[in-house]
Amino acid sequence: MALAVVLAAGPNVFLLSSSGDAPRSFGRADRSSALPAALVDAVRALPSGERVGGAGAGLRAELAERTRRPIDAVGSADLRAARNRVAWLQGPEERTYLRSLAEHALATALRSPVEVLITLAREEERVERSVERERRAAEAFLGVEDSSLDEYARAWTEHRGRVAAHHRRLESLLEGEARRTLPNLTALVGPRVAARLLAHAGSLEALGRLRGPRLQLLGARRRPSAERGPRFGVIYRADRMDDVPPVRRAAYARSLAALAAIGARADATTHANVAGLLVARRDRRIHDLLRRRA
Amino acid sequence: MRTAERMRPLAGSPRLAERRVGARTELWTETVGDPPPVYGERWTTVGGRSYREFDPHRSKLSAAVVRGWAGPLPRPGERWLYLGAASGSTASHVADLVGPDGRVYALERSLRPFARLWALTERWPNLLPILADARDVEGYQELVPPVDGVYADIAQPDQVEIVRAARDALVGGRAGTVLLALKGSSMGRDRPPAAHAAAAEASLASSLDLAATVKLDPFHRAHFFLGGTSRGGAAAPRAAPARLTPRRGRFRAPRGR
Repeated sequence: MALAVVLAAGPNVFLLSSSGDAPRSFGRADRSSALPAALVDAVRALPSGERVGGAGAGLRAELAERTRRPIDAVGSADLRAARNRVAWLQGPEERTYLRSLAEHALATALRSPVEVLITLAREEERVERSVERERRAAEAFLGVEDSSLDEYARAWTEHRGRVAAHHRRLESLLEGEARRTLPNLTALVGPRVAARLLAHAGSLEALGRLRGPRLQLLGARRRPSAERGPRFGVIYRADRMDDVPPVRRAAYARSLAALAAIGARADATTHANVAGLLVARRDRRIHDLLRRRA
Repeated sequence: MRTAERMRPLAGSPRLAERRVGARTELWTETVGDPPPVYGERWTTVGGRSYREFDPHRSKLSAAVVRGWAGPLPRPGERWLYLGAASGSTASHVADLVGPDGRVYALERSLRPFARLWALTERWPNLLPILADARDVEGYQELVPPVDGVYADIAQPDQVEIVRAARDALVGGRAGTVLLALKGSSMGRDRPPAAHAAAAEASLASSLDLAATVKLDPFHRAHFFLGGTSRGGAAAPRAAPARLTPRRGRFRAPRGR
């Protein structure tokens, strides 16, 4: 459903809707090839001095071309002002209005760097899981030469290659976003873990308020046994975790979570660059843990 | 093969029907929306009417009816405010209950569930999405006309105060219904869930004729369903809704001393 909202500066407010395909991306309701005649007529009928606004860039362009007048973008404030002007809308107009307001608010919110990073983190986690599952299945696959299984296996390998390439592109996209939004945390634990921590916390503010022990448990789901609580969170996937011997990983996770909490707080509040300091502390801790093993 | 009996509408809400299948009783709502199913629920057509199964395991309202809720329910033609609609599984059933002439204003704050709710409202003509915080009564009250009922399913420690503020703003002094799915474990561990439910009852009893509270075990653990109808014309609405401060961080129960 492509929604068109037409505002006039005078006492008249028009809320019209045109039907079309449902776009899955919010705030890009541009499938407006079939512009309803009623909408064009309504815009033409407005006095020339009045401001007209529309939702969706494609719809605005087409409407502007058909009516030969400028069509502005509509913001949430415009929609609210329109609502105040007409008191309670009735019937389909109310529905059109509330849906377009919601769509607009949702698109605005989802466009913020933090929400983009959360979405990317979730996608990356999902794609990574599927890559891993396919890899394990391919290892266990019993192929026989000179049969149709051979052909199937080749097609499957090709498919996995495409998914892996998609995963690499997704990772580099995620890394760029993570370095912009969470510079300190990303330097400390790596882009993937930083983004996942943010996704689990829900928002940058929530992440900045977490203490180390809470941050350590983000993403931990299962209890190893009835007596012990959940243990292995997202932080166990952090950079340099593999450099620490398994028996020291819990100790490292505690220290790293404490440092990550500091980094996250800096990213959420002061935006100070403490990455160098945190990374130095992290590396010193790893050095100590490795020496303790001897 | 078990024989399914016909749908019998319930007295409390005519678009809510029950059906005996063997020894089981199923709840169904006569649907307003179009398929496909919202959350994997079954659809059926009986006598030219489309019904969707109303699963007590998935919905606290359904669980309340199954557990013998005798209080008011959404009825056809009414306008309801739904706080905490999430992705709309129960909200779509409430929209079914109020029928094509009613309206459900569904509030949700979290973006990703809201995106699904928004997509759902395309198929449910009487379900209207609002992206807002239930605490922010001043923010959303200009979008919602006066309503006949407030349904709340918000797992927050101060959920009773949130609902009361919404009721005062949008039902006001008129007769109206409040239904509250109370999550005991979200209200702090200083008291057992039943004590929280009793406190909620006590705080709502002054403004509502409460129906008997229903415990939602075993469908939803430590949940209660309470509510009732306010007497119309009695208490005048407050001048301004109570200001509710946004909650920061995790809820921590006050330490008893």
